[in-house]
Amino acid sequence: MKAVQLHIPAHADQIDLVRICLYGIASKLGFEYEDIEDMKVAVSEACSNAVLHGGHSGEGMIEVTFHHDDQALVIQVHNEGSPFVLEGAGLASTPLGGAAVSELQAGGLGIYLMEALMDKVEVFPTSEGTDVWLTKYRQ
Amino acid sequence: MMKLEPFKIRTEEQGSEYVMYLEGELDLAAVPQLQCALEHVLKRKDIALVLNLRNLTYIDSTGIGVIVSILKTRDGLRAPFYVQEIPAKVKRLFDLTGISGYIKEGAGA
Repeated sequence: MKAVQLHIPAHADQIDLVRICLYGIASKLGFEYEDIEDMKVAVSEACSNAVLHGGHSGEGMIEVTFHHDDQALVIQVHNEGSPFVLEGAGLASTPLGGAAVSELQAGGLGIYLMEALMDKVEVFPTSEGTDVWLTKYRQ
Repeated sequence: MMKLEPFKIRTEEQGSEYVMYLEGELDLAAVPQLQCALEHVLKRKDIALVLNLRNLTYIDSTGIGVIVSILKTRDGLRAPFYVQEIPAKVKRLFDLTGISGYIKEGAGA
């Protein structure tokens, strides 16, 4: 797989750059508009998680690697924080529904959206932090 | 081409409605700006709070989280809250997360 890498400070106001970069790469690969919109949200969710739970105080970096071949675009988001738990997220990240308004919980929506919008989502703890791998297959 | 569209809020008070027009990309970086703009209207019971999303080009779980908190606060106060002109790609995420079932669309305008 070929790879393009982007390093950004782990800060909320840098996440738009990841979307811009993703847009460029995915368009060049010929992905449909809807798929690109889905990937924009999924990669932003991974980066938001990295910023919010990255465990660094504004000094850290997020590394985004766009791996691609003729099968798929795989976006790897690496940060220096501890991993969030994907197992059991199935339950915890059930979309809103059924509950009374006063009981609505917004927590877990990001993980839910990543899973709903991508073909595959994997989270790996690494020696230096956490890797999230987001896969979208080419049609 | 994709343009960088900074998040902006324009507000209009017309009679009993307070309309917030959200424009551009509502992501983690824009959430504080929205929360700040909501501060003085969120608990006003004399107005219907309306979010107009016509020119919203992007939203994710961080923005949806703010809308969930508006829903809860307004519901607790029995104060009206509406969302209007939801673009298709935003609507898709509202449907996926299930927040659509709680949003009242329309009002005035």
